[in-house]
Amino acid sequence: MTWFATAFAALAASIVAAWISPARARSWAGGCAFFAASGLVFVAGVEAISTGGATFSLGPLSLLEPIGFVLNPLRGLFLIVTAVVFLAATPLLVRDAAQYPRHRAALFLTLVAILYAGMLAFFTAADIVSFVFFWEISALAIWGLVTFHSREARPVAAGYLTLMLSEAGTLAGMAGLFILASHAHSTALSSIAAAGNQLPAGALWIAFLLTFFGFGVKAGIVPVNAWLPEAHGSAPRSVSPILSGATLNLGVFALFVIDGPIAIHHPQMALLVLFVGAVTALTGIVYALTERDLKRLLAQSSIENLGIVVAALGAGFAFVSLGHPVLGAMALVAGLYHMLNHSAYKTLLFVGAAGIDQATGTHDLDRLGGLMRRMPVFATAFLIGALAIAALPPFNGFVSEWLLFESLLRVVEIASQPVRAVFALSGAMLALTVGLAMTCFVMLAGSALLGRPRSEVVAAAAPAPVSATIPMWGLVVVCFGLGVLATAVIPLLGGLVRPLAGANPTAALVPAFFGTPHGLPAGLTTTLSGIGAEVGRGVLPLRSLVVVHSGGAATPVVFAMSTALAFAVIALLLLSTWGATRLLRRRRTRRVGVWDAGLPCLQPQMGYTATAFSAPVRVLFESLLRPVVQERQHSQGGFLLGLERETRVVHLVDRLFLNPVAYAVKAIGRSLAWLHQGAVTLYATWVLATLFAALMAMKFSL
Amino acid sequence: MANWVAHSLIDGIRSESGLDAEHLPAGATPGRPVSQPLAAQAAARMAAICPGGAIAARGDAVGVDFVHCVHCQRCRRPDGDLAWREDAQWGAWRDAASNPLPHRFRHSVNVRYLDAGACGACMGEVRLIDAPPYNLHRYGIFVTATPRDADVLLVAGPVTEAMRLPLRKTYEAMPEPKRVVAMGVCAINGGVFGRSFASIGGAGDVVPVDLVIAGCPPPPLAIAHGLLLAAGQLQPGRGSDALEP
Amino acid sequence: MSRLTTLAEALADHPGLESSRLKQDRLELAAVPGAVSVLVELLTHEYGFEFATLLAEDLDCGFTLHYFFFHPADHVLVSIGTSASGELPTISDRIYAADLYEREAEDLFGLHFSGHPFLGDFVLHDDVWPEAVAPMCRRYAATTPSASAERASTWHPRRQLTESGSVVFPVGPVWGDYLEAGLYVLEGPGEQIRLAHTRLFYKYRAVEKIAEGLPVPAVLLLAERFSGNAAVAHALALCQAAERISHTVVPERARRLRVVLAELERMRYHMAVMAELAGSTGLAVGKAMGQELEEALLRLAARVGGHRYLFGLIAPGGLARDLDAGALATLGAELPLIVTRIRRYRRLLEASSSFLDRIEEVGALDAALTARYATVGPVGRASGRSLDLRCALPYAGYACLPPTVAVESEGDGYARMRVFFHEIEDSGALIGAALDALPSGAAATGWEPCEGSALGWAEAPSGAFFDWLRLDADGRVQRWSAGTPGYRNWHAFHRAVEGATFQDFPIIMASFGLSVAENDR
Repeated sequence: MTWFATAFAALAASIVAAWISPARARSWAGGCAFFAASGLVFVAGVEAISTGGATFSLGPLSLLEPIGFVLNPLRGLFLIVTAVVFLAATPLLVRDAAQYPRHRAALFLTLVAILYAGMLAFFTAADIVSFVFFWEISALAIWGLVTFHSREARPVAAGYLTLMLSEAGTLAGMAGLFILASHAHSTALSSIAAAGNQLPAGALWIAFLLTFFGFGVKAGIVPVNAWLPEAHGSAPRSVSPILSGATLNLGVFALFVIDGPIAIHHPQMALLVLFVGAVTALTGIVYALTERDLKRLLAQSSIENLGIVVAALGAGFAFVSLGHPVLGAMALVAGLYHMLNHSAYKTLLFVGAAGIDQATGTHDLDRLGGLMRRMPVFATAFLIGALAIAALPPFNGFVSEWLLFESLLRVVEIASQPVRAVFALSGAMLALTVGLAMTCFVMLAGSALLGRPRSEVVAAAAPAPVSATIPMWGLVVVCFGLGVLATAVIPLLGGLVRPLAGANPTAALVPAFFGTPHGLPAGLTTTLSGIGAEVGRGVLPLRSLVVVHSGGAATPVVFAMSTALAFAVIALLLLSTWGATRLLRRRRTRRVGVWDAGLPCLQPQMGYTATAFSAPVRVLFESLLRPVVQERQHSQGGFLLGLERETRVVHLVDRLFLNPVAYAVKAIGRSLAWLHQGAVTLYATWVLATLFAALMAMKFSL
Repeated sequence: MANWVAHSLIDGIRSESGLDAEHLPAGATPGRPVSQPLAAQAAARMAAICPGGAIAARGDAVGVDFVHCVHCQRCRRPDGDLAWREDAQWGAWRDAASNPLPHRFRHSVNVRYLDAGACGACMGEVRLIDAPPYNLHRYGIFVTATPRDADVLLVAGPVTEAMRLPLRKTYEAMPEPKRVVAMGVCAINGGVFGRSFASIGGAGDVVPVDLVIAGCPPPPLAIAHGLLLAAGQLQPGRGSDALEP
Repeated sequence: MSRLTTLAEALADHPGLESSRLKQDRLELAAVPGAVSVLVELLTHEYGFEFATLLAEDLDCGFTLHYFFFHPADHVLVSIGTSASGELPTISDRIYAADLYEREAEDLFGLHFSGHPFLGDFVLHDDVWPEAVAPMCRRYAATTPSASAERASTWHPRRQLTESGSVVFPVGPVWGDYLEAGLYVLEGPGEQIRLAHTRLFYKYRAVEKIAEGLPVPAVLLLAERFSGNAAVAHALALCQAAERISHTVVPERARRLRVVLAELERMRYHMAVMAELAGSTGLAVGKAMGQELEEALLRLAARVGGHRYLFGLIAPGGLARDLDAGALATLGAELPLIVTRIRRYRRLLEASSSFLDRIEEVGALDAALTARYATVGPVGRASGRSLDLRCALPYAGYACLPPTVAVESEGDGYARMRVFFHEIEDSGALIGAALDALPSGAAATGWEPCEGSALGWAEAPSGAFFDWLRLDADGRVQRWSAGTPGYRNWHAFHRAVEGATFQDFPIIMASFGLSVAENDR
């Protein structure tokens, strides 16, 4: 507990330091304080997980009843993730702060510190007052940061959009919380969740929908995610990693602690969560493929990843609600695992994007290219981030997505056809998402790192900033560790989901099934150990991930996967290939230019762009994207001089949800405008009429 | 649904059995003028009407320098006085220093054909080396689109100024060992186009030519002969009897 | 005749018209440069004349431009001559087909056409030749080297498309297995080609310049060899121009034999195009079968004329040598067999849905584009333009042996294929008819060069080909202009590619059956 409190002190110190220290030391002082805070939070999180946590309250600050805070293992996990993300972003924050003038730098660091503190407090909030209060603090800090860098129209608009959706979400979520709290007669999160089940169905549904979509704004679920790409695209480059890696987890946390306890008793709600998650994931990746701005692409991909997390949690809730706690726990583990992974590789990629921006001055994918040759160390880390997010072993994305699909497939154990249908539909969407994600990140890595520079500015790029490269390599280690040490991470997560799911899936996922067979025939275990499948123990110090499909006692289906072994095989293959080529190569190397088909020289515009790469996907999803094309021909006499063509894609959510709402509000406003045109007496009449109507309504309702 | 397979089976094998001089099918080669004894007066007349300067009168004989012949047919009987020989062994090493590709390439040679200003005739003939009657694949000779895979550069055309750089780049892009074959009179010495501001007059000025296949145009059999020489499957000056199994 | 008379009368007091001479089958007009574009519009839009060719000459008195028109129904020619010493107004904005002719005149003569936006970097590439070189001027010697290597790095493709993320795909100049040198700059955001731009003249051998000062037989060698797969047609156009200068009347036997040779060449040319088309769609068996038929036609040509590409047979005054009876009998006997095999080949192709799928509705030139670019030859006929010089301006023996002109309206790859196959069969029939009624007698008449100029033409396999020849008093060539069908068909080619995907590009190219060598000269 003291670690955690000290972290707040460090953040307070960073604010003070930012305002009073001399110009040169300002950003460094702030940076040191952030480092210290991150370290302290990390330790506090680890302590919470290892010891089980503690509760505490801030009595004197409260008005009605003590504002409660709780630090349990689950919250510890969120704290650790937040700390790691801030730790990785701090060098960039320092660097960015140094480029602002005096007061703005101080303001910048202050906003970051407030966001950090707000998030920490939110993750430990034990009652709805602190929950909503710190949610709001974080939201305001995000708004401040999104609009911080530029006063241009787009960032400002992005800021307002963020603020508007965030406030709408808060209001909705708050309303939902109040409905729940009114029945629980308590403001403690733990009790309102438990009390939810006594609510009448209608009220419960309203409360559920309000909290799910209200707090879902931060998790970027459809249809309340319009702010996300705008905010991430406009935020200062050092803030984007935090926005994506850490703040999106706020929404996941809210879903887990507020909607989770309700949905585990109501299958329809759980299935809704699953379906919305799958739709979010699919739309996220489809729109990611239409982006050519590196940061906006990564933001759309965050929507996709959060969609996968939400879908996994929804699947978990559904399994639990249908009486399969082990399967539910498995899906919940997959969800939390994916959240961890997303924080790791998305922070890596956003830090990389910031580094690219710093070195080249652009984050337009169509203008980048050839960075692998110019900055190999940096680019390798970026490439590994892309591999991880594309779910390729031995990195972390693979583990959580494999777990998710394995758990979704287990729906065969549920008899209900509608449930199976929802699972099948969502599973198909998620599978498509994963495939498209691969395309997307091949495109990203290919167009940013490989080939030749597609513009002059990139050809003359500065070296990669160390402030990006070092954190990125740190995160590469995290991604790799989460990938190959899956069997160590899963028991940990299993413990965290146990209170909600009522079961720990570790035994099912990483079974010691030689000791306690799950109804497996004795002969099978003997056979398996006979072929050396002693669940990895004999080969590597780690166990393999095993999923047992109980297709029947006689014919159990066993799926086994060891990312550690997969890594060992990949490493062996690569090493042996490298060694073989070294041994066999006896010719001298002759270097000639790229084959250019006899042209005088290849030119930047001849490189295949990201837009070109993703064109087939855009064609495939044309009915979803509905691109608006504007074409203009320039001609002189009969000669065509040129063609100008602009394709604009209005996001599905904007098209179907936000724009109609905005249009309706405007229309209502216009239609009510005549009320404003009249004499004072007319206004007085309206006031009287309203008063009368209100009184009548009260009379009849009482 | 077209039954190509059935029709191909009905047609049977259409490839010529070999590049044998004795059994050339009629029309497979236009033939060529060769050095031969001829009365002095006629020899002088033939030398005079030859537009390429391929024919030289040598007393009671004519000497034919085939690499200058543009196949105008003006010296050919019955209009002219020369008998033409119907053969297709037209490939020849440029000089004594030239040699075939190393032995390991013998049955796997990739050819990059380069059009450096060729007229359609050379283009048409070279396209036919893969056609059923000639089927150069069976000797392990393949045409490739990229110079990176190529062992032989087959150049046609007098090499225009605009193709000078592409020709040089193509040659440079090829890995060692490599050979350059100039096919057609144009690629050897410019042919009817000669040297001008637009035509370099042969590939030899841009890349080192190892082997020449004269003719205007050389028929597919002659191109095959040249490529087989470059691959080391044939020895110069001998017919298909030198073709190794 | 009446059309020319009425035209001459109507134009008699047209402003800017300097002179008007009515000959037997042609009207020769001379006008001031400013009046040309109005006259041109009048001829084409009101009197139904077709634009034939445009060429420049460097005469002792300065540059002269000749514009040629013909009337397809009345078989008559109109020429407009104008002095080109100063600024010339472009006619391409009215007659878009004249675009490339004007670009050529600008590049080779240094003339300037006001109102033309794309001058320069056409025949003489900017990365090879300095801007000031005008090689077709009299004072410029053909052997003067003027290319410079330093200019290579300055070149960059002209971009026409402004679209975010669009890419420039350069295809060529060294590309494909056996494809001719040329650069195709394709622009688009991905695999879809939005705009394309053809950059030819990588194979520019300057035959027109080399020909200057040479006697006609020497120029004939050039005419046959600048594009050897249409040697007979090119030689024929040149010889007919030379014969018109000398008013030589070619004997009937030679006229018929010229038809035989030209049609044999057309069959072989078209057959090669069909084999390439099958190959471009990945139909390897179809390509092989087509090539076998092409080879059969080549061998037949060698047995008839001694040369697989029929070089050295056409000469001014008739044929260089008469074809012996045995050879003609072979031709008469074997050709029908080959035609039968070609019919089977066509049936097989048309029954291959995988093949038809790739050419149907691919690379379509609609009627409006075809009219605008005035495409000629099979490409034009597949898009509904029935123009064929063998009928429009009959030459050789075509007045008595009229071909049946195949016209299709779709303008896509399949329509072009049908036209090609129809012409192959029609040529076979024409050869048969010509051989059946072959008169005996001499195959040539004496031809003596004399001073003068004339237009000669032939329907080459790829389209209408116009040769302009001016001989000096010694019978040497002063100006030879080979007006190729490429200036129409290559001009329109990129429009057929636009909107297609990248994978269709080689197929569209094969279905056009164009020759780069014929265009580049």
